[in-house]
Amino acid sequence: MLQLKSGFTALAFGALLMGQPAQAQIKSAIDIATIGEPGPLDPVTVTSDLVSIITQHVFETLYAFDAKWEAAPLLASALPTITDGGTLYTVPLRTGVTFHDGSAMGADDVVASLQRWLKASPRGKLAAPAVETVTAKDDHTVTIKLKQPFAPLLPLLAFQNGAAAIMPKALAASTDTLKTYIGTGPYKIAEQKPDQYIRMVRFDRYASPAGAPSGYAGARKAEIEELRFVPVPNATTRVDGMLAGQYQFADSLPTELAPKFKGQTAAKPIMVKPFGWALVIFNQKTGPMTNPVVRQAAQAALAPEDMLLAAFGDPTFFQLEGSIYPQGTPFYDEAGVKGYNQHDQKKAAALLKQAGYKGEPIKILTSPQYDFLYKMSLVAQQNLQEAGFTVDLQVLDWATLLSKRSDPAAWDAFFTFHTFVPEPSLITIMNPAYPGWWDTPEKKAALDAFNLETDPTKRVADWKTVQGLFYAQVPAIKIGAFYSLSAQSQKLSGYTPTEWPFFWNVKVSQ
Amino acid sequence: MTAYLSRRFAGMVVVMLMVAAIVFVIARVVPGDPAAVMLGSNATPADVAALRTQLGLDQPLPVQFVLYIRDILSFNLGNSIFLNRPVVDAMLDRAELTSWLTGLSVAIAVLIGVPVGVLAAVRRGTLLDQAVTAVSMLAASLPSFWVGLTLIEYLAVRLGWFPVAGYGNPGAGLGERLHHLILPAVALGLPNSALIIRFTRTSMLDVLHEDYVRTARAKGLGPWAVIIKHAFRNALIPVLTVIGLTIATLIGGAIVTETVFGLPGVGNLIVSAVLRRDYPVIQGALLIISGLYVLINMAVDLLYAVVDPRVRY
Repeated sequence: MLQLKSGFTALAFGALLMGQPAQAQIKSAIDIATIGEPGPLDPVTVTSDLVSIITQHVFETLYAFDAKWEAAPLLASALPTITDGGTLYTVPLRTGVTFHDGSAMGADDVVASLQRWLKASPRGKLAAPAVETVTAKDDHTVTIKLKQPFAPLLPLLAFQNGAAAIMPKALAASTDTLKTYIGTGPYKIAEQKPDQYIRMVRFDRYASPAGAPSGYAGARKAEIEELRFVPVPNATTRVDGMLAGQYQFADSLPTELAPKFKGQTAAKPIMVKPFGWALVIFNQKTGPMTNPVVRQAAQAALAPEDMLLAAFGDPTFFQLEGSIYPQGTPFYDEAGVKGYNQHDQKKAAALLKQAGYKGEPIKILTSPQYDFLYKMSLVAQQNLQEAGFTVDLQVLDWATLLSKRSDPAAWDAFFTFHTFVPEPSLITIMNPAYPGWWDTPEKKAALDAFNLETDPTKRVADWKTVQGLFYAQVPAIKIGAFYSLSAQSQKLSGYTPTEWPFFWNVKVSQ
Repeated sequence: MTAYLSRRFAGMVVVMLMVAAIVFVIARVVPGDPAAVMLGSNATPADVAALRTQLGLDQPLPVQFVLYIRDILSFNLGNSIFLNRPVVDAMLDRAELTSWLTGLSVAIAVLIGVPVGVLAAVRRGTLLDQAVTAVSMLAASLPSFWVGLTLIEYLAVRLGWFPVAGYGNPGAGLGERLHHLILPAVALGLPNSALIIRFTRTSMLDVLHEDYVRTARAKGLGPWAVIIKHAFRNALIPVLTVIGLTIATLIGGAIVTETVFGLPGVGNLIVSAVLRRDYPVIQGALLIISGLYVLINMAVDLLYAVVDPRVRY
């Protein structure tokens, strides 16, 4: 077959070949099929997962999460020294770190980068109100002075999404979206052709942190000379490309295509756990769902198990789990979950009666662009109608849904999902400005206490209080956890399945 | 001819301005917001509003329209919101692929469609004619995305003769790029060839019964000389129209096929722009495509005069 392939190709295209490809001297390269074109590769201002996946190879943060989702030093040489009652962070920097433009990283670059992050990143803006100053103590030490203790600061500094990415001072001077990409990472951007590929090459002067690799932390080595991130929006094409050996890694594959890998030798499927959780968020600013008893009725009516089965089919790909944080993570708490997976229509009907609900239409927004959300919303519609709700299910494209949810008068509930975040305060619904507008005094007090607490053990207890309020006040309903399907070539070794796939410390055989 | 061309160009300017206005209105009438898409699902309404201001999307629509028309009149199609680069550059990047794909697809459609259509007409009523009619009906009914997926499954995944998707690796030569385009060109060319077969056959049947064809035969000309020199040339006008329309449609982007084969062409650019509500790209791309559509139709009209000396402008 190989001879036939070669013969056919040579016969058909030999006459057309115009010299050797310019990349012929590359010893090792892999093609990574992604879900689409990422657009500007600014790791600070853009919070799409795709941008995070790509840019984490180029830009680095002061800290990174290890396999236990705890912050570990990356560009910092050690964890920060926290003094003055949790309001002064002193961050020692590693020496000998070089940017891709050849300049050495110093405290001034870090200060400028952190200031840009506080102004321009949606994550940084969460920390900004707590930060008083960011200053360079000396060439290799940075201090962050807080107005009050803010425990999420360290996880935020370690997060690669909306990242506190360190870049040269000159680049960090503007909060405009980046057009040039100069970081300290093991790879540097060589070429970006929109909708075609992003090519990055090994940074030969990369200075790796010490320590055994663990999660995103520890030593990093660019074993593969060249990485190419190729936008392939069609999921079937990503799978076919893996089976044909054209790609060495493919992300975000539909779970129903998993059987195609059975018996294949070129590629194997990978399950990413934990990955995300689906939820329906209620409008607490206006409309019938502002009444907490109506929201509790919806909570009683829904059947998450049916919704998950409809969405994913195979139980291998989901977990019926009420705890907002998955098992195995520090904030997991199934004991405090009250009211998950009830599917009790009688109780729901009684609660509706108690709330004085008069059959006002509940406008629920959903989008078929995320097929699993759409299927879940169909089951929810049935569940709610059986309990006595009048449901107006509005099926929109995702762009319209994102736009419409900003208008409180336009909806009562919308389906969405949340990818796993290591720090609870990063969960979108914790932000009172996020659509849904969960901003009760009890929640504010509980979240403030959680954010002020710096003791990890006490934070776990505080989080249980916040989760308890999530189930009592029902700002949203967690449907369940789901996993992500990716695929890797059998030629890859050393790859660690994770939510934001990375390819340092990964080898490819020829 | 000069007067005719002047009239056509003047008409073209009017058409383009109308297209510009319609495209602007359609892009804005569709709900959705580029700022919300760019910032993603984690953004708050305040974040979205701030980006809208930065992008100038918070200005009243009439103001945006006047700025847009002013830019068009100075040949400036603006910058892509998402790609952060001029729309013209984004279009030019994709023009090479779309041109090659259009050229190859049309070549496949014409090379199959015209000879088979002529043959079916000449052998009218025979088993061959019936088979051609049936197969062309079937081919015309096949959606190109299904043809594409089937070709990928058998010729790319199982046999490995062609790449599954994309437009070649960085630094790929012309040969590698064309290799990537063969399957999509076949997927697009086959249904279009069926259309050309049917038009060619019908048009040929019409002229084969004309008096001048009988006269040519009576003069003692060989059968294929009559068919090619006398019948086919006169049957060509409707076929040319179909070919022109096919080219114009494909230049606008073979949207589904480009998506299935992961090709960074014009169609892919437009679909992505619509999903992202990237107004400048939607407006600019549709304007350019409309212009090309008008130009191709004009070129086809001019070709009529070349093919048929009776046509005068």
